[in-house]
Amino acid sequence: MARGSTTGAGGSRGFLWISALSLGLVVALPALFVVLVAVFPDLGRGSLAAPFRPLWRVLSDPALAVLLRNTLVLGLGTVAVSAALALPLAALRALFRVPCARVWDLLLLIPFMIPPYIAALSWILTLQPRGYLEQLSGVNLAGLLFSVPGIILLMALNTFPVVYFILSRNFETIGARFSDVGRVCGAGPWRAFLRLTLPLATPGIAASLLLVFAMAIEEYGTPAALGRRIGFEVLVTGIENRVSEWPIDLPEAAGLSLVLVLLALAAFAVQRWLLARRDYRILGGKPQPFQKRPLGRWRLPVLALFALVAGVATVLPLLAILAAALGRTISGGLRPDNLGLTNFAELLDLGSGGLRALSHSLSLGVATALLAGGLGAITAYAVARGAGRGRAALDALSLMPNALPGVVVGVGIILAWNQPWLPVSPYNTPLILLLAYTCLLLPQPVRYASAALQQQGDSLEAAARVCGAAPRTAFARIVLPLMTPSLITSMLLVFAVASRELVASLLVAPVGYETISVYIWRQFDQGSVGLGMAMALCTIAITTLIPMLLIALMRGRLSPG
Amino acid sequence: MTQGLPPALSVRALGLSYGATRILDGIDLTLPAGEVLALLGPSGSGKTTLLRLLAGLLRPDAGRIEIAGKAVADPGRGLFAPPERRGLGMVFQDYALWPHLSVARNVAFPLEMQRCPTAERRARVTRALERVGLAALAERRPSELSGGQQQRVAIARAIVAEPPLVLFDEPLSNLDRELRETMVDEIAALVADLKLSAVYVTHDHAEALALADRIAVMRDGGIAQLAAPATLIDAPASAGIAAFLRLGTLLPASRTEAGWTITGSRVALPDPPNAPAGAAARVLLPERALAPAATASPDARARLAARVLRVQVRASGFALTLRLAGTEHEVALLSPRPAAPGDDLELAFAPEALRWFPATDDPTDHPLP
Repeated sequence: MARGSTTGAGGSRGFLWISALSLGLVVALPALFVVLVAVFPDLGRGSLAAPFRPLWRVLSDPALAVLLRNTLVLGLGTVAVSAALALPLAALRALFRVPCARVWDLLLLIPFMIPPYIAALSWILTLQPRGYLEQLSGVNLAGLLFSVPGIILLMALNTFPVVYFILSRNFETIGARFSDVGRVCGAGPWRAFLRLTLPLATPGIAASLLLVFAMAIEEYGTPAALGRRIGFEVLVTGIENRVSEWPIDLPEAAGLSLVLVLLALAAFAVQRWLLARRDYRILGGKPQPFQKRPLGRWRLPVLALFALVAGVATVLPLLAILAAALGRTISGGLRPDNLGLTNFAELLDLGSGGLRALSHSLSLGVATALLAGGLGAITAYAVARGAGRGRAALDALSLMPNALPGVVVGVGIILAWNQPWLPVSPYNTPLILLLAYTCLLLPQPVRYASAALQQQGDSLEAAARVCGAAPRTAFARIVLPLMTPSLITSMLLVFAVASRELVASLLVAPVGYETISVYIWRQFDQGSVGLGMAMALCTIAITTLIPMLLIALMRGRLSPG
Repeated sequence: MTQGLPPALSVRALGLSYGATRILDGIDLTLPAGEVLALLGPSGSGKTTLLRLLAGLLRPDAGRIEIAGKAVADPGRGLFAPPERRGLGMVFQDYALWPHLSVARNVAFPLEMQRCPTAERRARVTRALERVGLAALAERRPSELSGGQQQRVAIARAIVAEPPLVLFDEPLSNLDRELRETMVDEIAALVADLKLSAVYVTHDHAEALALADRIAVMRDGGIAQLAAPATLIDAPASAGIAAFLRLGTLLPASRTEAGWTITGSRVALPDPPNAPAGAAARVLLPERALAPAATASPDARARLAARVLRVQVRASGFALTLRLAGTEHEVALLSPRPAAPGDDLELAFAPEALRWFPATDDPTDHPLP
């Protein structure tokens, strides 16, 4: 034991081991196999021949270079459009008294709850030839939809709320603390914004845009649904192709995965660096009440801007999903006599594929939430209070899936668990999905639990120890209960995301085993759009309303008095 | 009343290092049962580290700790009892009340850990809360209490199991001054009532003087002086301790043919009883030995001329800052009579009140707050 160590170490030693073993199995193993196979393409046949060939091919083959270029175009384009949408809205929301501000916040939260692939499908229904828009207005925007700018626009509509929420909080803090001072020093409101608020917010802006970049290059559903029709392939779709379509080329998939992960890792590394610097500068002082300024004659135009963006980003996709789900037939179009609940009846018919997919995904969601939550709590505690040298590695490992796109986790799991020489393997059982989801979502509970631990401080646990509690007792009676509210919140988030995850499910789901997302995706391919959208509607409702209800209940119970 | 009992605490040659840095070195302490020991020192002196070693929250790497006659840490023999096996009470600087438990559950926790039967537990919790005057708030959450009330809950939790030794880690540093003074009195009364043995960490010498039977002044990871409060005030072991306790003005002194003078001036000082070796020394002019000559007692035979620089009105008199005539040195004096800046004043003191230290004992070597 290290000299001068604190006593928390004794208690977390066992946790350190549990956490290290599980993370090794769930996170490190798939990641390791991606790297190994990218370097040694014939590893599956037990050969170390032709090292670096896949990587070299990815970097030298012009056909593959196109994938990288398209990925960058998509990522940077999405960042630019997201910024253009979010910046003005966030600044207005933070610094001025925008009417119905809370309503806009709520509406802009909804895109988080609609999985991007469902939003993309709903846009296809709306804008395609003879889509809803054409039925209502006579024009269709298929030309825009099935184009690179169209894909970028859709991705930006899905991602800009991230920037909006981070930035409006950021602007508010800065505005309150610095720009009033600037105005007292003689700068007008515009100068105060341009000279003080905006430069101070720059690290925050950059960090949130890097997050958008990572989200955009990791996204599968939107480019797969739209890009394939115009031959626009990105790394993610390219990887998926090589794994699921003939001729299967796993080494090349691994090589492309490695390139994609390095891109995402770079974005996250820069983001973390920026955030660490920003915290230092802005969060130093005491929060002060902040008087927002009235909009004056700009009230109506601003209101119209918020309504337009929220309408396009949130209301239109929802309406399209609703219309398709309620339409008896697609060809029947938007007519009152074509509306009905047939799709729901078929979806919920006992013994139907839909009901099975729902129960598969919901039980996998619950299992993932429990597993990731437990593992996250143990890991966060071992990292925060442990003593060994492995802590930093454990911390990095637990946060690494942030930079692992779903498609890469899928490839890694195939490479790791579909080896013919393995005596037992969870491959081809639903357990493999549990592994994939846990790997992808582990960073959430780890982050929430670490934040809760940090807030607790050491002395609460130390006090329990001095009062006679053994390490295990102190953890169970003091540390864990105090961590529980944050942990449950993160587990609800894990449940919501896991139960509708698309690309890893497409790659590793056992034969004949459908999850919600796979079901929706296939219905669309098979032309049963209405059925798919009825499922989408159920999914959004279930994965949004259940967690929100539980959170509301929890708040009610935990609030004092 | 406590004769025959083993000391509440006995520490021998205790040491702790982080890598090559010695944090604590050669700490020796004995605390007789029923007494209070204050660990007094500036931040970074090692007092909180020493307390955490006593609690078992840190592992020493040398020496031995015994609590109530039982060895709890002896790295030489591979012995280390974790905190839960030391049976202590502890009051933390930030109170460390568990926010998810009621006041009563917080206080009951140490008894629960000892598997104390429910009925007895209830009675003892009520008694402990009554002692600190919070019986009415037993079912509240800590977050609903004021800072002073939270402090009392923390104290109740520390004493409820009647531990052989209670540790206080700067318990009053988060309270405002008025409340702090009240709490010092309350803690002193509680400690006396319950005949507690306690170690009390603080950087505030007024707290230490008010509460402790003995005070260990800590500096640079060691104990600079261990003495009863009166001894500490009367005979600080070094100029550094005198400066830290703000006992008065430290003046550099030089030996001349005519006798000792304040260095760089012709102001004469009374001869020391035991002449320090060498031609230079450092002398403490204690503030409490000084008085205006007009009101001084007959013992105060020595005189120093001074000019008033600043005056602050206090409830207890007039706090004067004066400059000794012919020097740049300033002295403070609490005078019952008003004075105005610029007034010349004759200061009187008893020659034997001066405390002489070697010139090498320079308090500015280790600047203290």
